[in-house]
Amino acid sequence: MTQPQQPMLESMTDVPTPHRRWRFPSWSGALLALVILVIATAMKEPKFLQLSNILNILEQNAAVGMIAIGMTLIITLGGIDLSVGSLVALAGGLGILAMNRLFDKPVGDAAESIIPLFAAAGTTIGIGLLAGLFNGVLITKGRIAPFIATLAGLLIYRSTAMWIARGGQFFSDGSELFANLGNGFDIPGTNISRNPRRVVPMEFPYAILVWLTVAIVAIVILNRTRLGRYIIAIGNNERAARYSTVAVDRVKIIAYTLLGGITGIAALMNAANYTSVNSANTGILLELDAIAAVVIGGTRMEGGSGSIVGTILGVLLLGVIRNMMVMRGIDTYAQGVVTGGIIIAAVLLQRAGARRA
Amino acid sequence: MSDIATSELLLIQSITKRFGAVRALTDVSLSLDAGQVHCIIGENGAGKSTLMKILSGVERPDSGNILYRGENVTLKSPADAQWLGIAMIHQELNLVDELSVAGNIFLGRERRRLGLVNNRWMNERAAELLKGLNCPIEPTRRVGDLSIAHKQMVEIAKAVSIDASVLIMDEPTAVLTRREVTALVQLIERLKAKGVAIVYISHILSEVLAVGDRVTVMRDGRSVETLSREKAQQIGEQGLASLMVGRPMGDHFPPRARPESRLALEVRNLSVPGKVRTATFAIQAGEVLGFAGLIGAGRTELAEAIVGLRRRDGGEIVVEGTVITAKNPRQAGKAGIAYLSEDRKGAGLTLGMGIAENVTMVSLKRYCHPLISRREEDAATRQHVDQLHIKIGGVRDPIETLSGGNQQKVALAKWLEIAPKVLIIDEPTRGVDVGAKEQIYALIRSLTAQGMACMLISSDLNEVIGLSNRIAVMRAGRIVATMDASGATEETIMYHAAGVVRQG
Repeated sequence: MTQPQQPMLESMTDVPTPHRRWRFPSWSGALLALVILVIATAMKEPKFLQLSNILNILEQNAAVGMIAIGMTLIITLGGIDLSVGSLVALAGGLGILAMNRLFDKPVGDAAESIIPLFAAAGTTIGIGLLAGLFNGVLITKGRIAPFIATLAGLLIYRSTAMWIARGGQFFSDGSELFANLGNGFDIPGTNISRNPRRVVPMEFPYAILVWLTVAIVAIVILNRTRLGRYIIAIGNNERAARYSTVAVDRVKIIAYTLLGGITGIAALMNAANYTSVNSANTGILLELDAIAAVVIGGTRMEGGSGSIVGTILGVLLLGVIRNMMVMRGIDTYAQGVVTGGIIIAAVLLQRAGARRA
Repeated sequence: MSDIATSELLLIQSITKRFGAVRALTDVSLSLDAGQVHCIIGENGAGKSTLMKILSGVERPDSGNILYRGENVTLKSPADAQWLGIAMIHQELNLVDELSVAGNIFLGRERRRLGLVNNRWMNERAAELLKGLNCPIEPTRRVGDLSIAHKQMVEIAKAVSIDASVLIMDEPTAVLTRREVTALVQLIERLKAKGVAIVYISHILSEVLAVGDRVTVMRDGRSVETLSREKAQQIGEQGLASLMVGRPMGDHFPPRARPESRLALEVRNLSVPGKVRTATFAIQAGEVLGFAGLIGAGRTELAEAIVGLRRRDGGEIVVEGTVITAKNPRQAGKAGIAYLSEDRKGAGLTLGMGIAENVTMVSLKRYCHPLISRREEDAATRQHVDQLHIKIGGVRDPIETLSGGNQQKVALAKWLEIAPKVLIIDEPTRGVDVGAKEQIYALIRSLTAQGMACMLISSDLNEVIGLSNRIAVMRAGRIVATMDASGATEETIMYHAAGVVRQG
């Protein structure tokens, strides 16, 4: 009856894994596509590489670029935020309203005062943070799927903006500092006027600087802080994160609030650029552009790993394509076909790359 | 002789099955006769489920033959098995909550009329089947609204409706009430009369003796012995239990430490709705309290309730004299309780991340000034790697590149980072090779020698006895016995776990 002991598991010889070889980062596909596109466009359109055009592309995409960076954090977390486009209109519009309310006739001294600018900035960024916080609380404490909760936000914020403006625009009453925020600083040694005696220097838009700042801060957060580490952990395996004492709800709320705040900053720069906000059009479909840029940049839609650099490349890729299509005179109505095709190609390329790795 | 040959429906000849380096089945043979109940018993992990998966076409054997009515058959898929008339009542319920009772019973075999599903016919037929089971559930009810016992009855009705010639029942009574068990036994008699061969897997030895025409005992992936009904009844439940566990105890356990007199963890009257009933126990500093019991006895649920992963229904938890009310593992961790889940891949580790990232997951705050110091993380990880003999390449390598045993050591290291007062480990050596097993044992020993208390949940009785100071046995949500480990045998634990000896 007694049998010799039969080990249930055979002893496995553990071979230490060799060091991983250097791998191409997830965004190499996006970089390659961007380089090819830039070279191809530059060969057809020499104007494309002019500093003014490059700055123009960067400025045009700064708002969506900032939001896409925040979206990278959210998608890495395993979430999504569809409400950002509408929020750009609502937060920007309310910022302009607050500014106008403070100064009925911002002429003379008032136009030069910094207080209206603070009012606009405070209101716009504050509304952004609040909306993000609201999204985060709905998703965690309210247990509503991110897609649904933020879809509701998309409808509510847009509708609120249009309701207040009766479907029209929010116009700045003329704070010069606010308008200046939408411009930039002079680049020394440049002159864009035809008359060599009348020097009109080229401007470097503030929006690009803000975008760059947001990017650097986000890179540090994602790679070097507890918040970032937890965002990646939750996106990988929420249950394991919770078992490992991560305050999952708190991390999620902070992440959504962060994206809301970044959206507020983007809304401010956007409103200042145009000194107005169109309640019906501003930021429309921007959430989808941001998500597209994140996906093109190599961030996994399922969460768990994300790349800010990749997202920036994704934004640039989309921006350059649009710029190129305008330059080449491609039918505006057909541009969506090209953009959509690029997204599909990018994802297919990435999957092929991932399989090889 | 020819008589026996014709009644033999299914013959399994020396089946072997490996999963990677793990040999799940070795040279297992089994014969099933028409109109007979063949019981299979064995400890958790003895290979019963794997054998049944092979029989029902879910897994394919590496070698060996399956003969159906004397002919060699290959079961490539569950559909092949069903086509031969082999049906299985699963232990985990495989029902669609959103469908009706009748819809579930005929799922995939819907009766159609004019291309549309004939609900009336299915409802009538389902009602008949359930009536035959003495279980009058409305066929139109949504399965999700049924009790777990009724769900099991629907599962049984579904298997019966196939008119199978071989019916496999995997722990069919685990969730049933007495009334339904009686109905099931009557059903088995009727099926036997119809000539159906039944495979009956159960932990409950009294049931096995009552229904079994033959009993096969499995242990460590082998069929140890097959007994006739008479022989089984002659050796009785105790004899069967001895056969199930009858492997000599290993001596690879380091000597036990003497616990300190102060209590590290006290749990009083802790209940989890439907899972654990008024559990009370205490663990001294430096002591290992082993928790033995069958799967589903409520051990994991008890652990999860302590660290706030499950809702507690009354009860008190005291850590070193302080009452704690942890609502989640984070609060439990702050109070000094670490919980290492049995689900290493699903909850214990974050597989997509690196080794160092996993090691510092719980203690990350310490490495932030305010930015994470990767250098300090690397150093701390290396220290654990050396101490626990973890075999790795680089400290930032993906955790997935490690073997099961090394992964488990990383999961342990993660908790050692916060120097817990109480360590709860659930199945610490499941899927771990022998060498790593002994290292984990030694580690638990050295930790308790330093005053840590350990709640050890394990289905490996050998391990529970060898590692624990005392052993608590759980059955059906209750702690039914607590004994000193030095005098405990696998047999006595099995008796308590299976409910042979009633305590108090």
